[in-house]
Amino acid sequence: MSHFDWGSGAIVKPEQPKKKKNVQIIPAQTDLKRRAVNFVKGFDINLSPEQLEELEQVVQRSSETFVRDIGKDLMECRKTVIAGLGDKSKRPEAITAAGDLAYSVKALGGTFQYPLMTQIAKSMENFVGERTTANEKQLLVIQLHIDSLYVILAGRVTGFGSTVEQATVAALTKLTERYEDPRE
Amino acid sequence: MNAKIDFSKISFLIVDGDKISAQVVYDTLAYLGASHIQRVKTPNDAFDVLRTEKIDIVICEWRLHGMDGLEFLDVMRNSTSSPNRFIPVIMLTAHSEHRYVTTARDLGITEFLAKPFNAKALYSRLVSVITRPRVFVNTGTYFGPDRRRRQVEFDGPDRRSLDE
Repeated sequence: MSHFDWGSGAIVKPEQPKKKKNVQIIPAQTDLKRRAVNFVKGFDINLSPEQLEELEQVVQRSSETFVRDIGKDLMECRKTVIAGLGDKSKRPEAITAAGDLAYSVKALGGTFQYPLMTQIAKSMENFVGERTTANEKQLLVIQLHIDSLYVILAGRVTGFGSTVEQATVAALTKLTERYEDPRE
Repeated sequence: MNAKIDFSKISFLIVDGDKISAQVVYDTLAYLGASHIQRVKTPNDAFDVLRTEKIDIVICEWRLHGMDGLEFLDVMRNSTSSPNRFIPVIMLTAHSEHRYVTTARDLGITEFLAKPFNAKALYSRLVSVITRPRVFVNTGTYFGPDRRRRQVEFDGPDRRSLDE
């Protein structure tokens, strides 16, 4: 309620009550921290370089499985793409298989010291992404990606490769741009 | 004396349809001493596990068949049928573009790990989830861990507690 302030001679209106926004802050759950963090058993929160190296070796244990399984997947996907070249009804299946493979290689290549494969797979994924089918030339572009990935894997080309490999990546990217349309 | 993490006290659930990716995460956790690690390929299987077992941390791939990782996260955080709305979720994905990160953040992800990843990156996400639990924020449009990761000076009105 407003009132007259005899000191200043002014009518003073009360401050509007501040309306609370409907936000609930829920305290952090510390149960996990309480249970697991200690000073006796387990791994240091800040791992030493040696410990990190050991942990990285654990990750690399699956490297051979990656080479074997992805090699197999590349061959199967290549067959599916070739089947799609000859039979239009098989193209959606080829596109799905190529998309899955591209994502998988993109996700794991770099983890296993094959960042070049990740680069090519990324180009392939961008090209395949959101397509449901492809024409003949587009399937050939996909096939070229698969072949390149296979060559890198078979040659165990770790790292980003030489200028030749980088030129191949650039050429593949140009091909994807050229045959980008139509996107169905 | 350094603080340590005893991973044997924590139970994990890996949700990933990719065999190799799931294996890498599993091997890393096992090496760290985790003894309770479950692996499933689909969100539906994940919900079954979450409803029957006590799981502390979920490590989930974005690209999954059927329901994807984001939908899974959405159900976990926002559905009344969620087995645990507060469970920490580490999202693994090869979709590392900024828009994907912000989408996952706005659906209540706890940590985001871009693939290809290395052991150091995975370990740092685990440490963050375990040692730095975050407050949860519940508004009309968001439920999840506090998205303000850094404390920065701010001179404007505090819109979290007051209307403008």
